[in-house]
Amino acid sequence: MNTLFKKYFLLIFLCPFCGSLSAQQNAEQEANLKAAFIYNFTKYIDWGSYEHGNDFIIAVAGESPITQSLQEIARTSRVDDKIMIIKKVARPSDIDDCNILFITKECRYPLDFLLKKAGPGVLTISEEDGFAERGTAFNFVILNDRLKFEANLKAISSAGLKAGAQLLKLAIIVD
Amino acid sequence: MIKLNDISIRNKLILMQVFTSVVVFGIVFGVFIITDISSYKQRKADSMISLAQVIGTNSISSIQFQDPESATEILQELHTVAPEIIHAAITNDEGEIFANYSKSGLDSFKIPAYILRNRSSVFTEHQLFVANPIVSNNKVIGKVYLEVQLTELQQIKEYKYKIAIVLLLVALVFSFLIALLIQSYISKRLLKLVKTMKNVRKTGEFSKPVNDTGKDEIGTLTKAYNLLMEEIEESQRKKDEFIGIASHELKTPLTSIKGYVEMLNLMEDDPTKKQFVGKALGNINKLESLVKDLLDVSKIQSGQLQLNMNEFNMDELIDEAIAASQVNTGTHQIIREDHPGNEIIYGDKQRIEQVLLNLLSNAIKYSPGESKVIVDTKKNEKEFIIKIKDNGIGVPAEEQLEIFERFYRTKDISIHISGFGLGLYICRDIINRHYGRIWVESTGKGSIFYFTLPLKHTLSTQQTEV
Repeated sequence: MNTLFKKYFLLIFLCPFCGSLSAQQNAEQEANLKAAFIYNFTKYIDWGSYEHGNDFIIAVAGESPITQSLQEIARTSRVDDKIMIIKKVARPSDIDDCNILFITKECRYPLDFLLKKAGPGVLTISEEDGFAERGTAFNFVILNDRLKFEANLKAISSAGLKAGAQLLKLAIIVD
Repeated sequence: MIKLNDISIRNKLILMQVFTSVVVFGIVFGVFIITDISSYKQRKADSMISLAQVIGTNSISSIQFQDPESATEILQELHTVAPEIIHAAITNDEGEIFANYSKSGLDSFKIPAYILRNRSSVFTEHQLFVANPIVSNNKVIGKVYLEVQLTELQQIKEYKYKIAIVLLLVALVFSFLIALLIQSYISKRLLKLVKTMKNVRKTGEFSKPVNDTGKDEIGTLTKAYNLLMEEIEESQRKKDEFIGIASHELKTPLTSIKGYVEMLNLMEDDPTKKQFVGKALGNINKLESLVKDLLDVSKIQSGQLQLNMNEFNMDELIDEAIAASQVNTGTHQIIREDHPGNEIIYGDKQRIEQVLLNLLSNAIKYSPGESKVIVDTKKNEKEFIIKIKDNGIGVPAEEQLEIFERFYRTKDISIHISGFGLGLYICRDIINRHYGRIWVESTGKGSIFYFTLPLKHTLSTQQTEV
């Protein structure tokens, strides 16, 4: 009885940490996880000469609970000792001088336009199947109920960035 | 429990040497093994902690991006990298298992967290547990746990123990051999001294010094012994001289007293007075024989005892001696068992008679009244054997040689018989001078004294042999 209880307890308890996204889990949890992933990406990306400004800016294109989640992280964490600023992309000009551009599913702008606008020095992250192939650096996918990410090496290098090996070994590489 | 005092110096020396070396080597090997094993453990723990660090560093991204498969892959590599690791696990910051690895055929890993609460490595009897935090941006995001099977340590331990035992045995053998070698410089010399002492006791020759050139304690002891022997010899000589002079000086007045008392004895008619004179005469005779014995001993010691050699009829002499002894004893019966012949012996008749009288008087003295003393003779090709058997107290085996020594009195304190203990000494000397032998056989009930005299035709050959 006791061990059975423990097993179930462990199963339920461990699920969020396994990155498993069962049907019951709501979008908020998914958003939290994605936000954490985005924050963790910053640790493995070398912005090189594009590291400018006093703040670390993450621009979110489109309405998404991720904005909320990122703001939660920004309250307690910093990137390279810089304050994290999360801003919604209201106008295309908002993309200027950001470090990360996160393109949500709800984004109204066409992808090609956003990629062009982002230019070098901006890490583009998306969450739509096939976006990595179309040119975003990282793209979230769900595989076997787990959150994974694709990486487009060309996109990363053409943006003038370098991704750490530790990060890339976990990524699904696409062309 | 063996008393240490009862062990010979030789064995003590060996024991001391062997024991000391075993203790010393034991301690040395013990320390050597302990430090060796602990340094091995330290190295093992250090290397495992380093390995855990590497695993931790490689797993940072796996934890951050919640990818247990990649972490498990890293752990799987332990199979080839470090086969002695039987269990490994990576936990997240909440302490829950994120990825784990168990060597094939083993149960899944249960982290003994209680063992590693505050330490990075813990040794149990056969295992080593290692825990190392995974740190990213100064934050602990998880931990790496390793369980290492210490089969190598067991082998090393066994190997070291074996070597230690072998070396200990070699040391034992060597120390034994060295001790054996050294002890001869001590105990051999002591034993030589003891042997000389025993010899001195047996022969009474004090003048033989022990040669020992050593300048150590044993050398000193030997020197002291030699000096002591010189002194003893000197005092012995003085004593013999004194006995000689004293007995001689006593003899003259005693002979004079005896003459007068004998005359008195002849002249006295009053029965009471005659009885007293008779008693006085008896005691004078005793005294005279004691003085004679002393004088004989003194002569023997100084080598002045001369034998008056002549041919005489031994059988007649035996009969005379028996008759004379029979007169002196009231109750004992002296029986001659053989059929007397007419054996002619070449010797000092008076001295042989002295021996016979002495042995007969002893037989009477040491046996209860009314018992029989049996005299028997035998002859073989070489010698004439005289046998005197009594039913007395007998002579214990350990005393059978000693009774022929000077001043020897029986150790049995319950027996009080007067005398100097010189009779048998003199007998032995006389018989030896006749190239005969004298000995005693005793079974506890009675004793048989034997002495032999060479037959006339063998005497010349015996003399030349000697």
